[in-house]
Amino acid sequence: MSSYRYGRPALKSSVDVQLQTAFSDGNWNTVIRLAAKRAATLKDPYYEAIKMCAESQLDGTAQKCGVLVAIDDFVKSKKTPDLDTIELYEWACRDFFDYEVEYADTLGPLRARWAKANPGSPLALQCLQACLEKWDLVSAQQIATSLDKAYANTADRRYMFWSITLTFLLSISPQCTDASRKVYSLLAVRQLERAADLTENSAKLEPTDRGLLTEEEICLYFRVLLSHGTKEEFVSRLKSPKLGAISQLKEGRKLLFCEGLNALETWGEWELIYNFCREALTFGLEGTTSPFFVCDLQIWRKFASSASKVTDSDSALSEVQAILKRYIELKDKASAMYKKNLSLALLETTFRLPATTLNPAHDNLGLTPRVVQLGLFLDQYFERLSAFDDIKGYVAELSFEEIKTLMEGVLPKLLDENADKPRKTVLHALQCKLRYLLTTCPQTLSPQTSVANGEAQKPYQCRFCTSPASLPCEGCLRTLITDASKSYQQINGDKEILDSIPRLDKDPRLDLALVMGTSLLKLSGLRPRTPDAGHSLWQDVNPGQFLQAVLLLDAQLKETHGDTELRLLLVQLYLLLGCASYAYQLWTPLDIKRTIQDSLSPLFFDRISSLSPGLFQGTRPLMEPLRSFYNHNLDDRSPVRIWDAFAAGSYTSILDMTEYDGNLRRSCTVMMTLVEERRATRCYGGKIDVEIEEHPLAENINDDTTLVNKTDYGPFPNLESVHGPPIHEYLRLGPGLSNERSHLAFLSEQYLDLLHYKPPKDYKPSKASEAALRDREYTLETLSRLSNSLTDFLHQPATPTRLTTPETTYYTVLSLLSAALLIALSTPRSDPVPKTLSLLSKSIKSAFASLRMSFFTLPHADEHTNRHLPSACLHLTEMPHLAAIRDTALAIKHSAAFVLSFHEKELARDRSGRSGLHRDVISEMKVLAELAGKALVEVKGCVHRLKEALAEAGWLDRLLGLVFAEGDGHDGNGREEDVGRVVEEVVGGRALTEEWAGKVVESWREGVKGWGMVRME
Amino acid sequence: MGKLESSPDVYRFSEHYLPWHAHITAVTVAPEARRLGIGKLLTEQLEVAADAADAWFVDLFVRVSNHKAIAFYKSMGYSVFRVVKDYYGEHSTDPTLSSEDAYDMRKPMKRDVKGEHVREDGEKHEVDPSDVW
Ligand SMILES: CC(C)(COP(=O)(O)OP(=O)(O)OC[C@H]1O[C@@H](n2cnc3c(N)ncnc32)[C@H](O)[C@@H]1OP(=O)(O)O)[C@@H](O)C(=O)NCCC(=O)NCCS
Repeated sequence: MSSYRYGRPALKSSVDVQLQTAFSDGNWNTVIRLAAKRAATLKDPYYEAIKMCAESQLDGTAQKCGVLVAIDDFVKSKKTPDLDTIELYEWACRDFFDYEVEYADTLGPLRARWAKANPGSPLALQCLQACLEKWDLVSAQQIATSLDKAYANTADRRYMFWSITLTFLLSISPQCTDASRKVYSLLAVRQLERAADLTENSAKLEPTDRGLLTEEEICLYFRVLLSHGTKEEFVSRLKSPKLGAISQLKEGRKLLFCEGLNALETWGEWELIYNFCREALTFGLEGTTSPFFVCDLQIWRKFASSASKVTDSDSALSEVQAILKRYIELKDKASAMYKKNLSLALLETTFRLPATTLNPAHDNLGLTPRVVQLGLFLDQYFERLSAFDDIKGYVAELSFEEIKTLMEGVLPKLLDENADKPRKTVLHALQCKLRYLLTTCPQTLSPQTSVANGEAQKPYQCRFCTSPASLPCEGCLRTLITDASKSYQQINGDKEILDSIPRLDKDPRLDLALVMGTSLLKLSGLRPRTPDAGHSLWQDVNPGQFLQAVLLLDAQLKETHGDTELRLLLVQLYLLLGCASYAYQLWTPLDIKRTIQDSLSPLFFDRISSLSPGLFQGTRPLMEPLRSFYNHNLDDRSPVRIWDAFAAGSYTSILDMTEYDGNLRRSCTVMMTLVEERRATRCYGGKIDVEIEEHPLAENINDDTTLVNKTDYGPFPNLESVHGPPIHEYLRLGPGLSNERSHLAFLSEQYLDLLHYKPPKDYKPSKASEAALRDREYTLETLSRLSNSLTDFLHQPATPTRLTTPETTYYTVLSLLSAALLIALSTPRSDPVPKTLSLLSKSIKSAFASLRMSFFTLPHADEHTNRHLPSACLHLTEMPHLAAIRDTALAIKHSAAFVLSFHEKELARDRSGRSGLHRDVISEMKVLAELAGKALVEVKGCVHRLKEALAEAGWLDRLLGLVFAEGDGHDGNGREEDVGRVVEEVVGGRALTEEWAGKVVESWREGVKGWGMVRME
Repeated sequence: MGKLESSPDVYRFSEHYLPWHAHITAVTVAPEARRLGIGKLLTEQLEVAADAADAWFVDLFVRVSNHKAIAFYKSMGYSVFRVVKDYYGEHSTDPTLSSEDAYDMRKPMKRDVKGEHVREDGEKHEVDPSDVW
């Protein structure tokens, strides 16, 4: 509740001291008595208001309502109370807003009325602020319009633009009725259009004129035009000699130019983009201000890429080159930032030129202009942290000949023999990263002419090492690991290099470790866990290499513990490994705060209750920071600090903040927060305070709401090329957050709320049978709605790719259950039970059976490589699957119980038995309940077995045996062992590995311990 | 990233009293955008504001192990004024240490014509965290 903002209002100064004191002391009974007296003698309604206000502070419901009734009277009678009374009323019902009282139906209109009557008063501004903070756009817009009228043609231009901004916001808000939406849209556009015309047609505009003057005003106009106008209007204004993008640029305003280009890009208007960029950049050269003002990388990129897409692209591209050349001649005068932009622009341009222009002779030397440019760029920037990211896209575009020249001819020559060691090391780390990148590029493979026996999975030949390969080439990955490790060891053995590390942009060991780690992951066979992936991690993945990767990266984190990207990578790997408590230890120091919680929290918390519910049993509530972030930001209906943006006249910020706020309220992460906490609470029989639909954070979310996924994978290291999936897709427990999954989760929680609903203890309806009838109707309605919605979301085209297989089963079973319950409860006892019920029941049983089967009979994928893998490991990494079995079983069990208890209640109420349920329904439910009961015993047994298995001795040795598997080289020639040895050297030997293995096993034990306490009923 | 301030008046006679100055609370440039002059640009803006507000100097705290930031500030004319012992609760590079010292670095502004608020041997002046506020 937002009462924190409400201090007790000051009473008018004319009020006597005695009453003032009683009021400020909160002596409500005295206030009531005194105020009543004053009202009677002074005949001033203000005292009535004070009295009512004091009464509302007492406990009785009737007294509380007094204020509400008074407000309602005012609203209806169209009378306007004075502002002091409004303030008193607002304070008195501060706790009711958004729940019992809609501001927009009560105080908003009163404030609007007051402001309209007193637009010149400084207090009218306060009314606007109050309405904005309650996000009552209708009243706010009215106030702003009155203010605008009152202050028209004064030097404070904000009133006019507040009014327009609010009219626009209203026109795109759900608060606007469909009937008036068009009016407000037109109003906003027309007002701005008039202002734009005024600007265009006046020689000079004064601040008192109602034209467009500031950058924010002009950008507001274009934003509104983009939303409500036509493309032609937008483009024509964008070209206009006064308000257009170029003329604004000439005044030193870049925002419109950038926003305009973005809009044109969405329309694919390449000619226009090209012309705008050319004009801007030419102006830069001729202009009086710094020529580099326009030299944003984005602008160069758009210039080059549009030039390659226009009709006469050859001459356009030559023009780009010519302009760029002139800039490069000036480069020495540019600051470091622009120098780099120009170098990148040169790369971009070179890569957009058609290959024939670049290499007319078609020679195969590979030293093409593209490679030369890359070399020149790296010559300046290879030591920079961003070097790899700057060039990786371009390198992935090169042909194999070019690649070979770059890697073997150009890079090694960047430094000569005598260069200092730290620089050489940095360069070598970069080379390793590029080598890795290239293993993800298809042009490094060529089709094999004859596929030898047993090589069916390797249909290509690697052009680097000539061995048969698929993408990535395993031979190259192994060589890369060995190479990187040599470099790594060399650094560790050289004091000069070690001492230089703090001065380098990045510890080169970190890069080398990432290369080795990701190479090992690829070698292990890890692939994105799409729904068609195996049922167990180990069906796809070679445990030895996978664990080596984790071990190696973990060891690196000890060296560079401040590195976020490595830490995040490890968090994901440990989650995949089923070591949630250890992942949490790594996650906590990231100390993710404020707004980025929404985008980063899913990286740890998504599916966490199904992986390790025990984590929620810690001393500090697991998801508290996330919850309090949302409570703080979404408690008020208005975007946080929106008034600041109004006060600053920052209209584009107002629009951006509103959009951001809207997305935050519809964030998949919000839903994840609610659902994960509820699931964990249920695991331990905790009390769920409020039904999910009633939860303030789920307010306004219904089936039509598109929930937005803003998960940010940017902070992950990403050595992959665009030719394959990014690394985070390999590491996730399943598909990322999505609208579909969030809705299914929301609906499933609503279904469980229905099953678990218990009327309040003191609820004793006087007419029991009527109440029972109403309850039944409500239940049937809810079931029908949920069944439809669940089915809808399950059948959306994208849904299968948004869920893991166990999740699909869980939600499918819930949709079947809701349909089954609907039939069970709505079929009169005397009618035959529709066949659909038994069909539904059959589907439930078979879906559930395969969910259980696939977990309890997990096979070893490859008996050979996995023969050291303790069988408990097969399940330890699949706890979310186990959770799905438990959740499904409980949903079945509670659904059956719901039906049976309904039947019992009916029998108790109506002794004739007529209102009870059909015998077949009852027996069907009993069968389902029994089935669920059995499954729960299985789940319990599984947890028990895991606990026993983990209690056995010898785990460390077993893990060590897996990590450094001896004598069973995968490819039969011991190369596996070489890699193992390399890892062992990098991590610093067996003793440290043992310590690490201890942590892994301990985390498994902790996870299973948490599972051991989970209720199975 | 920074603000203008002075010590509360009650400390006026303390040897650690700070007259009107600008304080850099935090400057961070995204790692991939470093060494392009952005940090310098931001800091210079604060210095302009400090001069405009007639401040004596600009100051900041930095971990003694943060070589890059120290080099950055030195390149812009800042120097160590004193060492605040155990200012930070943990050590940024050595997890076995439970605290780390800070350098209090300063750059005199136009008002400090005689350089009264800086000193050459600042590394030798040690104070406790309780002496700074
Ligand atoms: C300190 C920091 C803000 C510098 O920002 P920046 O934008 O990279 O710095 P600039 O490019 O403006 O550097 C200006 C000058 O400072 C010096 N400098 C900056 N970084 C340096 C480094 N890593 N090593 C040596 N000198 C450095 C140089 O003299 C540089 O000029 P040059 O590039 O022409 O040689 C940045 O490194 C950072 O965000 N660090 C992490 C956060 C932090 O420690 N903040 C300070 C704590 S208050």
